[in-house]
Amino acid sequence: METKFNSDNKNLSSYLSFKLDSEFFAVNVHQVINILELTKITEVPKAPFYMKGVINLRGKVLPVIDTRLKFGMEAIVFTKNTCIVVMEININGERVELGALVDTVLEVIEVDNENITLPPSLGSKYKSEFITGMLHQNDEFIMMLDIDKVFSSDDIIEFKESAEEPEKISLQE
Amino acid sequence: MDRFQKKYIEEANDLIISLETALLLIEKDKVNQELNEEVFRIMHSLKGGSSMFGFDKISELTHHLESAYDIVRSSKISVTEELLDISFLAVDQLKLLIVENPNLNAQTIEKQSNLLHKIQNVLENLEAKHDIKNNQFIENLKSNSDRFYTFFVKFKPNADVFDNGSNPLYILDELLSENICKVFVNDSDIPEIEDFDIAKNYTSWTIIVAGKLSQTDIQNIFIFIEDESEVSITQIAEENLFKNSEFIKIIEQSVLNQEAIFNFSSQGKQEVVLKEMEVGKQLKTRINETVISSVRVDSAKLDALLNIVSEIVTNQARLNLLIEENTKNTALINITEDFNKLSRQLRDIAFDISLVPLESIIVRFKRLVRDLANEQNKQIDFLTEGIETELDKTIIEHLVAPIMHTIRNSIDHGIEPKNQRLALGKPEVGKIVLKAYHSGPNVVVQIYDDGRGIDPEVIQKKAIEKGFIPASAKLSDKEIVNLIFKAGFTTASQVTDISGRGVGMDVVKRKIDEIRGEVEIDSIVGEGTTITIKLPLTLSIIDGLLIEINQTKYILPLPDVRKIFEIEHSKIVNNFMGLVVHKDQQYPYIYLRDEFEIYTPSPQLERAIIVNYENKNVCIIVDDVLGEYQAVLKPLGYYFRKQEFISGASIFGDGTVALVLDTNKIIKLFAKKQTI
Repeated sequence: METKFNSDNKNLSSYLSFKLDSEFFAVNVHQVINILELTKITEVPKAPFYMKGVINLRGKVLPVIDTRLKFGMEAIVFTKNTCIVVMEININGERVELGALVDTVLEVIEVDNENITLPPSLGSKYKSEFITGMLHQNDEFIMMLDIDKVFSSDDIIEFKESAEEPEKISLQE
Repeated sequence: MDRFQKKYIEEANDLIISLETALLLIEKDKVNQELNEEVFRIMHSLKGGSSMFGFDKISELTHHLESAYDIVRSSKISVTEELLDISFLAVDQLKLLIVENPNLNAQTIEKQSNLLHKIQNVLENLEAKHDIKNNQFIENLKSNSDRFYTFFVKFKPNADVFDNGSNPLYILDELLSENICKVFVNDSDIPEIEDFDIAKNYTSWTIIVAGKLSQTDIQNIFIFIEDESEVSITQIAEENLFKNSEFIKIIEQSVLNQEAIFNFSSQGKQEVVLKEMEVGKQLKTRINETVISSVRVDSAKLDALLNIVSEIVTNQARLNLLIEENTKNTALINITEDFNKLSRQLRDIAFDISLVPLESIIVRFKRLVRDLANEQNKQIDFLTEGIETELDKTIIEHLVAPIMHTIRNSIDHGIEPKNQRLALGKPEVGKIVLKAYHSGPNVVVQIYDDGRGIDPEVIQKKAIEKGFIPASAKLSDKEIVNLIFKAGFTTASQVTDISGRGVGMDVVKRKIDEIRGEVEIDSIVGEGTTITIKLPLTLSIIDGLLIEINQTKYILPLPDVRKIFEIEHSKIVNNFMGLVVHKDQQYPYIYLRDEFEIYTPSPQLERAIIVNYENKNVCIIVDDVLGEYQAVLKPLGYYFRKQEFISGASIFGDGTVALVLDTNKIIKLFAKKQTI
């Protein structure tokens, strides 16, 4: 994932974009450690249902999240494009590494901060507290995720409020 | 400077522990001059470093105490009770000062001035005592101190002397401040400018010192730097040779002409040289000692090392597997075998490094016993046995609080007051024994006291009152006594009234549980109480039993396992009793497939594992048992913090992950519905 970054322009930030179902998301590359191919995931009994399990990451045990379930979508279906994006987040000052299952990793995009629109205010169709901004690119909206907030929450986060009421799923403890 | 300060703090903490140990020994043996010397030396070392690194209060405190011990050691009187008490207080104060520096608490500052005031009193008393007892000695001392001596000192600091923050010039200053000196600098070792390293020392000195001081006084000046330099001190005359113009002439001509200088010695030259050699020898042995003894390592680095080692072990297993399956290349096979041996050794050594003897935490228990016994006017002997037994450092760290708690209980409520003990026909002096030993894969730590013991009847009454056990329950005395580990069993006041035991024993149990240990209590009324703590050797590696449920592998800690047998699935379905029968014994069981919410079809033949839980046998039923497995335990982390019944995960040779189950938690968690 080596990419040359233009450090002269302070307004440029790099994001890794990926796809879940038909939605586009991006996270700041600073929080991305690496991207893994799918490997055998060991399930943990009685864990929250969006926690897919754990894998071995160079001798460490890495939790893996079914990001689609976490975002209130249908469970992920493994294809040859399925990847685990290893990220580092901050939970109450503690460094936590996690793997997020995504359908497809797209690219590293360099974005001028001016092109990022502010998260839509409350009442719109997006949950603004979990995104840092939106990017309009090639007729698609990409949501820039605040992964510290997204992945430290125990709740299901639905970014789009769908027309029909989603099936209520109770969290297991 | 920060680095030096950190190093100083580490050293100071060590010194304070040695100080406390020495003081505790002195208390038993007040006339032991060696111990006094030891205390004096530690105070001196503490003082020396503290002012250099901005711990002025420490320097102030140790300076005054040092003076007191100086009187003791120079006049060979025994240490007074008063001085000892104040010394222990000072130790506490030193600990405070180290932690708080540089932002001292107002309270601490007040304590400090109180202490200094008290030390002043002690000093005056000591001096008075000293004057009366040792008038003669003082006379000698006085006449001695009137006398001038002249010494020839060679001082050659090592090249890396600055690394520890020592500055040889300060030493020279100290020597120069009260004596007549002539200093000759030897700069012939200074290299050419291109080879010159500013962080290194190239200079040595030759000093002629005349003054009212002894050879030991000079040695004391060099005490901090003696490990990092060559020092030789030779007495050349019992007078001030600087008054002798001949001598001046000689040294001005050539200071290196030692022969001429030594000719001025009023003693024979022979003797002087001998003395010099002796000093040199002493210094050398000391240097050697510091080289072998030990190395200080940041514990974070140690953890990193252990992580890498477990990774190597895992990868090694993978490599072995590949080689077995895929290669006929004998050279490769041989290398792999060699590597296998090496990584095994590496693992053993790495785990060994993280082991620490129990001894390292014993001082604070001794201190606790001393303080509490004095406070409550009880006499208690604190004995230790097998404290060289080693445990993982993490376990040791977690062990301090529970042991402290237990000992405190023994003294507060176990050991009776003197008169009661005598009335009971017990020895006046109470006894607390801390004993440690290996037992199979575990280390056992026992704390025994010969106090009044715990009355099971009282505990039983209490337990029924509190609803912990039904009134009809038939329990053995031991089972009853062990009820005090239950959370919320008692509060302090209630327990003191009834049995004099049990304050916060649930806390002790919880702490021990955290390090995967077990705790048990045995007591005989009127004779004493024994608390037995059983601990795993290490937290990071466990002997496990590899099991399988729904094609997923799990590991159960092997020490808990008692028996394994086959069981037909039909015996479990429609089993309303919740009991399985094996060899005429009934066992309550836990069906893990149900508990883990796995609903794929069960195999016809399953395996039942009998595990021991709080002295009861419980059966855990799984799909299959695959064998034994030594597991390197890794934490599961934040996302699985609520899955308490999993103590961690282990990575297999093929890189997959297996979960390590916590038998105790599983039983506690899943047995609620049934009565176990």
